[in-house]
Amino acid sequence: MLTVMKNFHINHRHSDEIEVLEISGELDAHTASKLEDSLKTLIDKNRHNIIVNCSDLEYIASAGLGVFMAYIEDVRGLGGDIKLTNMNERVYNVFDLLGFPTLYDIFDEEEEAVKQFQNSDQ
Amino acid sequence: MEKLTRSGEKHSRFELKTLLETSRLLIESRETDFVLNNLLLITMGKMLVPRGAILIQIPGKSEYIITKIKGKSELSEGDTIKIPWGANDFESIVIDPVELDLTPPELFSGQNRGLFFNLKTSNHHLGYLYLSRKGNDQVLSAHEIEFVESLSIISSVAITNSRMFSEMREINRKLDRKVYELNTLFDLSKDFSLMVDRDKIASTFKFALLGQLLIRKFFLIYRPDDKLELMASSGLLRNPNKTEMSQIFELPDDILDLQDEHYKLIPFLKENEIAALAALQMHGKKVAVVGVSKKANKEDLAQTDFNFLQSLGNLAILSIQKTQLLEERIEKERLEEEINIAKTIQKGLFPDTIPEIPKMDLSARNIPSDQVGGDYYDVVQTPDGNFIFAIGDVTGKGIPAALLMANLQSMLHVLLPVDITLGEATGRINNLIHENTPSDKFITFFWAKFYHSESRLNYINAGHNPPLLLRAESDEFEELSEGGLILGAMPTMASYEETDVTINKGDILVLFTDGITETFSKNGEEYDEKRLKKAITENRELKADQLLETIVNDVKEFSDNQLSDDLTLIVIKGD
Repeated sequence: MLTVMKNFHINHRHSDEIEVLEISGELDAHTASKLEDSLKTLIDKNRHNIIVNCSDLEYIASAGLGVFMAYIEDVRGLGGDIKLTNMNERVYNVFDLLGFPTLYDIFDEEEEAVKQFQNSDQ
Repeated sequence: MEKLTRSGEKHSRFELKTLLETSRLLIESRETDFVLNNLLLITMGKMLVPRGAILIQIPGKSEYIITKIKGKSELSEGDTIKIPWGANDFESIVIDPVELDLTPPELFSGQNRGLFFNLKTSNHHLGYLYLSRKGNDQVLSAHEIEFVESLSIISSVAITNSRMFSEMREINRKLDRKVYELNTLFDLSKDFSLMVDRDKIASTFKFALLGQLLIRKFFLIYRPDDKLELMASSGLLRNPNKTEMSQIFELPDDILDLQDEHYKLIPFLKENEIAALAALQMHGKKVAVVGVSKKANKEDLAQTDFNFLQSLGNLAILSIQKTQLLEERIEKERLEEEINIAKTIQKGLFPDTIPEIPKMDLSARNIPSDQVGGDYYDVVQTPDGNFIFAIGDVTGKGIPAALLMANLQSMLHVLLPVDITLGEATGRINNLIHENTPSDKFITFFWAKFYHSESRLNYINAGHNPPLLLRAESDEFEELSEGGLILGAMPTMASYEETDVTINKGDILVLFTDGITETFSKNGEEYDEKRLKKAITENRELKADQLLETIVNDVKEFSDNQLSDDLTLIVIKGD
């Protein structure tokens, strides 16, 4: 089978109650399944407070955005959330164009998302 | 503006300055709300007017929205009122309803003696600025009215600008989205073309759809033939069952917003908040249906979204069909490869060289058709120094026939050194074949042992086309048809009867399979035994190999080189 592996990586950090996925490279039709696997794993482990830090994300295609759509309801249903942070302007424009800012918390900095999780937990 | 300049000298420097600063402020602003608020506050503040409002026309109606209202009133911002005169009834900007004998709408109870200032550009009416009388019930002076008129004109231009600006922004955004949609389709068509795995295509379709249209629930039902399958879905409470899937397929092709009647018919759609259905066509045939929920931000699906949905769906279906064709082609190539191997093996089962037989000139040939066939022939020397030749035809074609033929060949070679008669050997072969093959598989078989010292041919015919014997001194053919039942039909009950004939110098014996006699001409005529006999008789002087060649050419010519079956031929001449 022929697969084209593009440059896309996920680095997983976690602290207390918050999981951080640092995604870098290009998130598109070929790499979307990687992110999907990571999100699924977190959900299966009952880790629902998820921050996706996009500081090194260079490109995102619709298929990449679709992964967030596919799991947001599950995560919120379990009392958690997926918050997005540190996007560069080009990536943010795509999110904005498709109407994501009305549905997702998008922050400039990861700390803001952390604070928000901490506040809502209290 | 002319009025403004003419009366400009009368204005105090302060008023001019206000006008200038305000106009700059308003013109530069791109926010309608800011412009309107300033227009109202500045005019009320400067004229000492305690009540004022801004009314903006609802496009195409005589109704107006109270966009701003200051001062004690029972009405509030957002309420709508009617204006009993037309927007273009009056040339002037200021309208005094009392003077014109009109009944103005009651914006402030008991306070109807205010002025309406038409907010308009050269060709567009936007609404009105309403100012009541001054706090001391004084009317506005002509000079003050001019000032408000000027501000109204400037504000109208500013509002139009800001409206155009937001329209442009909106158009730009739509354009950006369109470009992005096209890019998505373009990228995905490239992505899909690299994918050979259905699941991967389905999951890419899913994520692209969810992401691009901002939806959470969808399904894609695929019906390549008459079989329905759920190819992809997301966010559903449960998958649709077969009945629901076929009901969904029965609905009209494209439904942008599903109605109660649909929901009543198929509750599954309502339970899963499916709002729209799109049909995907291939070569004019409906092959798939995509159902999607509303957008997650509650917006309705627009026609453009629907178009995107169909384009994306078509791409995915095309790719899936492509992978199927690819799989079929690979399978076909694999089969062809196997058949080629089978042909090679089969070819190896025929004798490499025909042994020299005393008192006999023998030539044999098998011409395979495109497929692997079930013809068989053999010529071998037995341990006692005599010779056996055999010919057979397995019913059917293809691999099963070839396998059975290979089986027969090995049985024959196993039995060859064993000291038993042809009759016994045939009985054993028949039993083995009967026990080990399906009941619809038979072999017609003829074999003979040639005792060369006596020129005696001892033969058994098990249901095979009788070999033709043409004696040197005769024009009549004898048929070698004695023996027994076709091989494989039933267990050996009665023994196979051996028959002896002598082969003398000049006698011709021709053994053949039905590939010869059942060859058809273009007109549908059969080559038949008659033609075979004629070919033999007319060429009886030829040596065995030449006679064989002549018969083969005659058959080929008759069929116009379109042989559909294997041909096998053994020609023997007494020497």
